[in-house]
Amino acid sequence: MTPLIAAAPQFVQPEIWWTWLAPYLLVLGAAVVGVLVEAFVAPRARRSTQLTLALVALLGAAGWNVWLWVDQFAPTEFKAIALVNGSLMVSYFTLALQTVILVVAALALLVVADRSRGADDFAPTAAAIPGSDYEELARTKGLQQTEIYPLFLFAVGGMMLFPAAGNLLTMFIALEILSLPLYVMSGMARHRRLLSQEASLKYFLLGAFSSAFFLMGMALVYGYAGTINLWAITNGHALQVPEALVGGRPLLVMGVVMLLVGVLFKVGAVPFHQWTPDVYQGAPTSITGFMAACTKAAAFGAVIRIVVWFAPFIGLDLHEEIQVTIVIVAIASMLLGSVLGVVQHDVKRLLAYSSIAHAGFVLVAVAGVLPYDGQTFVFPMNSAVIFYLLAYGLATVGAFAVVRLVRESQGRGADAVTLGEATHLSQWAGLGRRSPFLAVAFSVFLLSFAGIPLTAGFIGKFTAFKVAVDGGLWWLAVLAVLCSAIAVFFYVRIIVLMFFVDPAADDTEPEPAREVVAVGALGATSDAPVGTPLAGEPEAGVGLRLSDELRRTSGGVTVLKGSVGSRVAIAVAMVGTLLLGVLPGPVLDLLEKTVNFLP
Amino acid sequence: MEVGNYLYLAMILFAIGATTVMLRRSAIIAFMGVELMLNAANLAFVTFARIHGDLSGQVIAFFVMVVAAAEVVVGLAIIVAIFRTRKSASVDDVNLLKG
Amino acid sequence: MSNPYVPLLFLMGVAAVLALGGVAASAIIGPKRYNKAKLEAYECGIEPTPNAVGGGRFPIKYYLVAMTFIIFDIEVVFLYPWAVEFRTLAVFGLVAILAFIAMITVPFIYEWRRGGFEWD
Repeated sequence: MTPLIAAAPQFVQPEIWWTWLAPYLLVLGAAVVGVLVEAFVAPRARRSTQLTLALVALLGAAGWNVWLWVDQFAPTEFKAIALVNGSLMVSYFTLALQTVILVVAALALLVVADRSRGADDFAPTAAAIPGSDYEELARTKGLQQTEIYPLFLFAVGGMMLFPAAGNLLTMFIALEILSLPLYVMSGMARHRRLLSQEASLKYFLLGAFSSAFFLMGMALVYGYAGTINLWAITNGHALQVPEALVGGRPLLVMGVVMLLVGVLFKVGAVPFHQWTPDVYQGAPTSITGFMAACTKAAAFGAVIRIVVWFAPFIGLDLHEEIQVTIVIVAIASMLLGSVLGVVQHDVKRLLAYSSIAHAGFVLVAVAGVLPYDGQTFVFPMNSAVIFYLLAYGLATVGAFAVVRLVRESQGRGADAVTLGEATHLSQWAGLGRRSPFLAVAFSVFLLSFAGIPLTAGFIGKFTAFKVAVDGGLWWLAVLAVLCSAIAVFFYVRIIVLMFFVDPAADDTEPEPAREVVAVGALGATSDAPVGTPLAGEPEAGVGLRLSDELRRTSGGVTVLKGSVGSRVAIAVAMVGTLLLGVLPGPVLDLLEKTVNFLP
Repeated sequence: MEVGNYLYLAMILFAIGATTVMLRRSAIIAFMGVELMLNAANLAFVTFARIHGDLSGQVIAFFVMVVAAAEVVVGLAIIVAIFRTRKSASVDDVNLLKG
Repeated sequence: MSNPYVPLLFLMGVAAVLALGGVAASAIIGPKRYNKAKLEAYECGIEPTPNAVGGGRFPIKYYLVAMTFIIFDIEVVFLYPWAVEFRTLAVFGLVAILAFIAMITVPFIYEWRRGGFEWD
């Protein structure tokens, strides 16, 4: 038997390269300072302080990343920089993906910070019992939940670490740092609190379950390779398969697949998608946007790291096993997301299924990874994936920012009360007349999701599927195109609904008042009286009957103005989506020249 | 004693934990299943560290303990918040979201 | 005394003697005066109630204390490896562990300022 420690390892003091660590320290440090702000700053000044701090941190880190990219990396040179004894590995891929995450997160933060009249997404005290006296007191005193900002920054910090992880332990810690704040933030919605808490619990239980899988996968890989350092694993530096594990190749494959389970859960790919619709629906809408866009980007960074760095497992080519896994998951995600998206009547759930389908589309590109031939260090999927995630992130943050401004309301005139989001599709009828800016923006985002030319989504899909074709998986690309065609149906249906269907309920007489309890607790859509369906009620767009639905949501729909910040976020997302769709050249060229090296 | 036996034990604990999460109705018990899975992974790490004569497995075990503690706190907070509003911690009652 | 575990065994013996001896000594030589208050369940100075509040369930406050305890208790686990090897780790280790403790202090301050440690 081997001795416990073969040779007493010498302690080597790691070099700390502060220049390279600065972006992480900036974001996580701002989060820690944010906690102190919560402790010491007067409640009145907290929100503005926190918001400034968070925005400065996010944009500062993004700027710093750009500086690192321009000034520190020589262009077209292959490099991965190991920080803190290889705990972090920074490459072009990492920097690019982090910058995408930071920019999209900054947009999402503008939406999260929207506290204009009636638009506050977060319960004044998330810990209070819904409908209790304490909550009422908090509401009347105008308390605001400002802990959301440090939580947000912690999550972003984890997302930055995730694609930068140089060993599996860092990856696991990053996974937890990004997940734990998201679990909490999902449960903080002001309206429909029970749904929100339920989403939080589901997300937490399933998330913890999946991270346990990630951890066990990590243990198996460690057992096989004797190291958790990705670089060492890839190069087989420490590979001495111990006697107890000789012939344990299935164990290793199982380990890698379990690692993938952990990260694919965060991506929301089938069969690890069960949480997605529920959590997207229940969580506060601004958080949903952030979670959908940024978590997906970060998790795909980790997926690519795992796929590329493990596929050429030295001496044991794992390429085939990994590719088969990814292809199966991609097919299942695309099919399930597109097909179930068609039957959804809730706009948030619809976007959730759309996000599942998009996870599948990105995986199509990942599946195109070529077997490692020992010489080429070029992975064309990297640039395709980053571009796709940028396009998807912009459209997602924008789309959810629009969703949260379309509200149910009760009463008329001065004493109208704004309730939760009007998420039922029928409530969106005629939005184009009521609020042209939001309707046009939402249409642009939907067209981008659908992959219609002249939007970023089209270029994203095109490059992603091209990678699969080049990798010899042309049939997968054909399947992906078919699935996008199915998905176009439900995106276009909403556009038709917004612009070409009349908002029927708007001019009818005031509805019978609903329970006021609904404000604090369950929200609207389940408890209203069901009237007799009106004869001859038109169908809205394709196959969505208006009559019953409009009765149910008799409360009428108001479109909030939203704060300047959230309108700016929507506008920036829209312009970005169009710009990337019309002139993708510079961005794509830049990405192809740089990030396609080892991620 | 054969070191591999610890691995079998870790696998069995992991399987028990996973089954608990999927079958038990109480959120707290399901959560205990997750903890069992994490600790099974810990056992595997420590065993592999012994097999390889390498310390990083033990270091990971420390980190996992801390992460598990953080998870417990977040999980308990969520479960307590739900319990206060519903007076129940059964996952079967958590069924408002469907579609 | 060549075996390094012998002193450990000795220590365990001393601990056992002290613990058991203390209990035994107080049972033998201590005064025995009973009254009603002494026979009641000990609940950290709180007036015991016939049934726990909330139908046999613990009040929520206990969970809050438990959460605080878990988080601060478990974080200390990082201090042990450092304490064992602090000579080797030298200044680097000291700075690192001080930074870690500072990080732990931040949530402590937060909880204290926001009244997380107040029982009522």
